[in-house]
Amino acid sequence: MSNKPVLELDHLSIAMPHRTLVHNCTLAVAAGEAVGLVGESGSGKTLSVRAVAGLLPDDFTTGGAIRILGRDVAEMGSKERKELRATRIGMVFQTPRAHLNPLLTIGDFMTEALVHVAGKRRTAADRRAAELLDEVGIPDPVRRLRQYPAELSGGLLQRVMIAATLAMDPEILLADEITTALDVTTQEEVMAVIGDLRKHRELSMLFITHDLALASAVTDRVAVMQHGRTVETLHSATMRQEARVEYTKVLMAAALDEAKPEELVRDRDATSVLAVSGLSKTYQVPGATGGRETLVALNGVSFELDQGGSLGIVGESGSGKSTSAKIICGLERADAGTITVTGEDWSLPARGGAARRGRAKKVQMVFQDPYQSLDRRQTIRECLSEAIRVHRPSDSREAVTRRIEELMRQVTLDPELADQRPKSLSGGQRQRVAIARALAADPEILVLDEAVSAIDVTTQVEILTLLDTIRRETGVALLMITHDLTVIRRLCDRVVVMRAGRVEEYGTADEILDAPRADYTRLLLDSIPREGWKPRRRRPGRTSAIPTITLMHRVKEMRGL
Amino acid sequence: MSVGQLAQGKMPVAVKDAAKKDWLYLVALVAFTLMALMALIGPWIAPYNPTQLYAGPENGLPTAQNLLGTDDLGRDVLSRILCGAGVSVFAPIIIVLLSTIIGSLLAVTAAWFGGITRGTIARIIDVIFAIPGLVLAVLAVAMFGKGLPAPIVALSIAFIPVVARLTQTAASRELGKPYIAALRVQGVSSLAICFRHLIPALVPVVAAQMAVGFGYAMLDLAAISFLGLGQQPPAADWGSMISGGKTGILAGAPEQALFPSIFVVVTVLAVSIIGARVTAWAEEKER
Repeated sequence: MSNKPVLELDHLSIAMPHRTLVHNCTLAVAAGEAVGLVGESGSGKTLSVRAVAGLLPDDFTTGGAIRILGRDVAEMGSKERKELRATRIGMVFQTPRAHLNPLLTIGDFMTEALVHVAGKRRTAADRRAAELLDEVGIPDPVRRLRQYPAELSGGLLQRVMIAATLAMDPEILLADEITTALDVTTQEEVMAVIGDLRKHRELSMLFITHDLALASAVTDRVAVMQHGRTVETLHSATMRQEARVEYTKVLMAAALDEAKPEELVRDRDATSVLAVSGLSKTYQVPGATGGRETLVALNGVSFELDQGGSLGIVGESGSGKSTSAKIICGLERADAGTITVTGEDWSLPARGGAARRGRAKKVQMVFQDPYQSLDRRQTIRECLSEAIRVHRPSDSREAVTRRIEELMRQVTLDPELADQRPKSLSGGQRQRVAIARALAADPEILVLDEAVSAIDVTTQVEILTLLDTIRRETGVALLMITHDLTVIRRLCDRVVVMRAGRVEEYGTADEILDAPRADYTRLLLDSIPREGWKPRRRRPGRTSAIPTITLMHRVKEMRGL
Repeated sequence: MSVGQLAQGKMPVAVKDAAKKDWLYLVALVAFTLMALMALIGPWIAPYNPTQLYAGPENGLPTAQNLLGTDDLGRDVLSRILCGAGVSVFAPIIIVLLSTIIGSLLAVTAAWFGGITRGTIARIIDVIFAIPGLVLAVLAVAMFGKGLPAPIVALSIAFIPVVARLTQTAASRELGKPYIAALRVQGVSSLAICFRHLIPALVPVVAAQMAVGFGYAMLDLAAISFLGLGQQPPAADWGSMISGGKTGILAGAPEQALFPSIFVVVTVLAVSIIGARVTAWAEEKER
């Protein structure tokens, strides 16, 4: 092959029946090159890639040209186009679990294309499938072929998906947010696998992500997309110097080495407003081989939160960080341990409405998913006035209206939106509503459970800044639960690092981010994409997620029920 | 129409949209409205007294005097259909309302309290499920005598499990959503969460279920009347008219059974189509 690009998008536009969603997407991927396509949700990056793979809904129309190996897709016959897509393009999606039939084994899935499209014999296909799994670094591939998707972790499944696309020897891999749903350490493993594959196979790649730092670390060039247009294309290595467009700079600002906002001047020996000690929680879950197993969600967790301070709880999925938040907010009951809030014992969930209202005045929570944590039938005004009336049922209508306006101002939400329903708000706006609702009670502690992880990067920065401002103005203490260490850097004084229900490390943010003592903290920090970062396979043997199910004892299956 | 209004109170817009997209839905709405009108004002627009003998010839064919013919006693079929419409259309509505209210209450109670409460309610519902509605209705008639009240109560009870199962699943799903947890953390009282948030969320599901239930209730009632256990002569409803029309078929006059059958089929079809539409529309709204 000459310098001809493997994939070329030439002024691609994509339109729904009444709206154009992608206006002008122009990019080229040369043989063996990796190009990143970066942008926020709704910028059209996924649509563009789906157009390449032929996965657009029927009523969508495209303009411009898509050229694969120098040939315009639109000029090919439908059979040829299908053939080309089957053999030259491999596509990997964000959620591997949703793309695998849970009733088929990994082996069935892997060999399906080989048997039915390539016409191989089953034994040969099985052999090839095992080789491919081996190539993506899955240990014991023959055994994996007999397992079901439910038995594999997210990182492993994503590697299975990659291996399956390799079965047809594609020229180019279309990777659509393939690591977004994965923990940061697993993300590194998957990216390392992809790096090796590209080296060995001369595979081209179009890598879609919202994470500019990740894209620049694993690709040669990065195209930035905004509102359906590619606004600029940069060389990954020199991205920081080259960036001209303001939007790219905003995207870049969400990196870990971003300076911390000025130190909040406050009383060093402030009293603790929340103290948790020896918190434990186990769940009974159906075991893999029948019977019941005990899942240890929390195992002797202790930490303290100062008045007006901010504490971050960091950990991968399954580390027990959300369980701690739920117990503090009274949504779950702890098996053991004590919780003290402003001197009161909160170890057991509140009994009765009055006690719950009393606690609600002290601790409020903002949830991860702003799309689901608001009642979709309520307008913003109804939502906020409900939250206000809980604590002040006899306030006059004017007082409530005033308070709503004040809250909306506090979270910098346009007052015009007060009579809208959540449906017509963006993710960032919804999360502002959720924060305003939590502030309505004037709480002393605000628990934020992954409050920014479902939001776009630029909006994330805004929300974090807003939270910092609110903390300064109202003196509310923040308990941030997150998997993202960059969030900690921006907002927290102290950090708890959790793993498998235990506290791995507990200290000030500077200590933990700059001089971590625990190996696990170091691993977490090293896995974060940043300038000059290259994904490495750290532990050749570590392919499953960190084990969270501990087999303590078996309980006999209950009879009758 | 009533079902759609229940669902959201925005029916005029929905009708307009549907008319643009889906003529079948519109036809169903028109058909059901006509049936409901008939049920309301039927006795006043009937050309003859429904029990008047020899308003025309015996087993008469449709003529200008008797638009849908006459039965074996010469009674006017159209008048009997019009006068029977009230019972035939409103009895199923009573059944649906009763079973929906009781079933939803059980469902919300089960979903809200969980644990033993849910287990107990589930077992009770299982027991009712085990008895077919028609058998229960026949049993009720045997115990409390012929006439409409017994089968109406029996069918209401028989329909409870279906409503309760479906509603409980929806309620449990809704209660698992983060916004309910958010409300609890805010300190909103349980009653407020239940009536202001949970129950409105269930309305689309329940409304769709009601429309489907109406069709079944109407068919079951017609069957009971057909067996001679429901509406008693000389009063008529559509089911008993089909039953009485049997003899007409042998006498070469199938119209007297055919016309009430058509009314039953059209009403059930119309309500089912409306129900399917409400379901699809509720699913769309959930997204």
